[in-house]
Amino acid sequence: MSVATLEAEVARLQVENDRLKHTLPDFTERIVCGKSTGRLPGNSPKQFSQLPDRPLEQVLRFLPAHQVVKMRLVSRRFNSLIKKCSKTMPKKECNGSVLFEINLTGQLTVDWFDDSSSKITTTKLAGDEVTLSELLRFIRISGRLYFSHGLSAADKVLDQLCKAWLTIRPEMVIFTGNLSHTSRDSLKAFLRKVEPSIRWLHFQNACNIADSLLNDDVIGAAGCLVGLMIKPVCYGTELPNFTIGDNTLLAMVDADHVPSYLYFMGCSGITPGGIRAFIQKWMNKWMKKGEPKAGANSTDYRHRYECDWCKLTFYKCANVTPAAVEEACGDLLKKDSRMGVPNRAMNDRVWFTASCCSNKRRLDIRFNAYVSAECCVFV
Amino acid sequence: MIQLCSNDDPPVSFTVPRKAVELSKTIKTMLEDLEGFDMEQTPIPLPNVDAPTLELIVKWVEQHQDDPPPVEKPRVEDDDSDDSDADDDQEPEVVIPEWDKKFLPTDDEQKNQLFKLLNAANYLEIKPLLDIGCKYVADKISGQTVEWVRDYLNMENDYTPEEEAKLKEEIAWAEGL
Repeated sequence: MSVATLEAEVARLQVENDRLKHTLPDFTERIVCGKSTGRLPGNSPKQFSQLPDRPLEQVLRFLPAHQVVKMRLVSRRFNSLIKKCSKTMPKKECNGSVLFEINLTGQLTVDWFDDSSSKITTTKLAGDEVTLSELLRFIRISGRLYFSHGLSAADKVLDQLCKAWLTIRPEMVIFTGNLSHTSRDSLKAFLRKVEPSIRWLHFQNACNIADSLLNDDVIGAAGCLVGLMIKPVCYGTELPNFTIGDNTLLAMVDADHVPSYLYFMGCSGITPGGIRAFIQKWMNKWMKKGEPKAGANSTDYRHRYECDWCKLTFYKCANVTPAAVEEACGDLLKKDSRMGVPNRAMNDRVWFTASCCSNKRRLDIRFNAYVSAECCVFV
Repeated sequence: MIQLCSNDDPPVSFTVPRKAVELSKTIKTMLEDLEGFDMEQTPIPLPNVDAPTLELIVKWVEQHQDDPPPVEKPRVEDDDSDDSDADDDQEPEVVIPEWDKKFLPTDDEQKNQLFKLLNAANYLEIKPLLDIGCKYVADKISGQTVEWVRDYLNMENDYTPEEEAKLKEEIAWAEGL
């Protein structure tokens, strides 16, 4: 083979080699990524900020919550990334109480209390410069939420609390402020958001509650409650007239759940028949409590003692008068008397005591159940 | 055995057991897609990984090739309209094993190498390596001032003084946490 031939062969191989060098990365990129090559950063980063979002997010997730908030100051990119990913960022647990207030100048303040009700700090939010939802991005609220003085439960506050990225899991929500700027839709959306965690709901001395604000549908959004108080402030002879009725009353008790207290004021939809149905459901719950589950085997005998109580209060409810309730429920509610109801299945006795106190416009029904017996223990 | 090639010119090639290399989800998927091809004879170029970084990757996957596979969780995409309960599903705690502590390029002069390693672990989808690298960086910057963090991460403050002041006011409450 001549030198010229060899040189030609080398040149050919060189061209082929160059072609392969160019082709192979293209081929590999298509396969390796399975997606467009735009997903890959062009060069290896020499600075942390050149990394793609995912490693940055991962670093931030390993930081304590307060540090993540501070990291927003590092750079614009950090700020936008942290806000974008706040749902999965670490959150500060707040198990105490959070109190919202709006003062006369319209300033919203948020007071934070620990488990022992000691104030941790106060946050003042001026105007719209700092939105509430931004404040709460990195805090997981449980415990109690108070909407205190002023328009603290106004739509603009509730709507922010309903933002999808916020985590609020209060056990108790108390509305005590002015609800004149609260709409039914916002309130319902808020109660629906807290429904998985809320057990106590109070409208306690709240003022300017429009009659149309509270109804069965809105209260129902909060689900089954242990305690419900609808007790607005009324001026003079003004009477509330909420369209809350037997549906709300009966929704609070079922086979798995009994409330501790229910306080209704100005709820015209509640009837003596509804009260009777509630009491019967409550008693039936107790009667069934000791029955063995199907297929259970007795393993032991021991003394069992349980007690429970429930208090119903009706105040200024148009259809609930002592006389009407006596007529509808007299056989169930004996004033200051004891009523023994044998539970044959367990051969023990459930004792109910019921007391009805009434004055001009208020009726309290408090009934207790005691179970005391030697009984089988089933597993 | 599988050959991996760095992006250097000329490329540097590493031969790695298939079991080890499959710790990279990216490469594992590629090998599965190319089932039937003789991949042992075909070097796999990694256009985003240089030789020193690839050497570290190879060392790590060889060390961890017998580890139990990590539990896969669907990645949560952040979206304000998503009302899921993903917020309860926080990342599990990551503990950096002793071997990995010595393995990670943690000296200050090796900082860029560490960032390149994170980039490569992300690109190659080696989640356990990405986790320990990110955990190391998080531990390093935890409790430090913003200025210190900027300096450590070689990041510039791209806020205007006004923007920075406003943001400081906005997050002042975090001091009380």
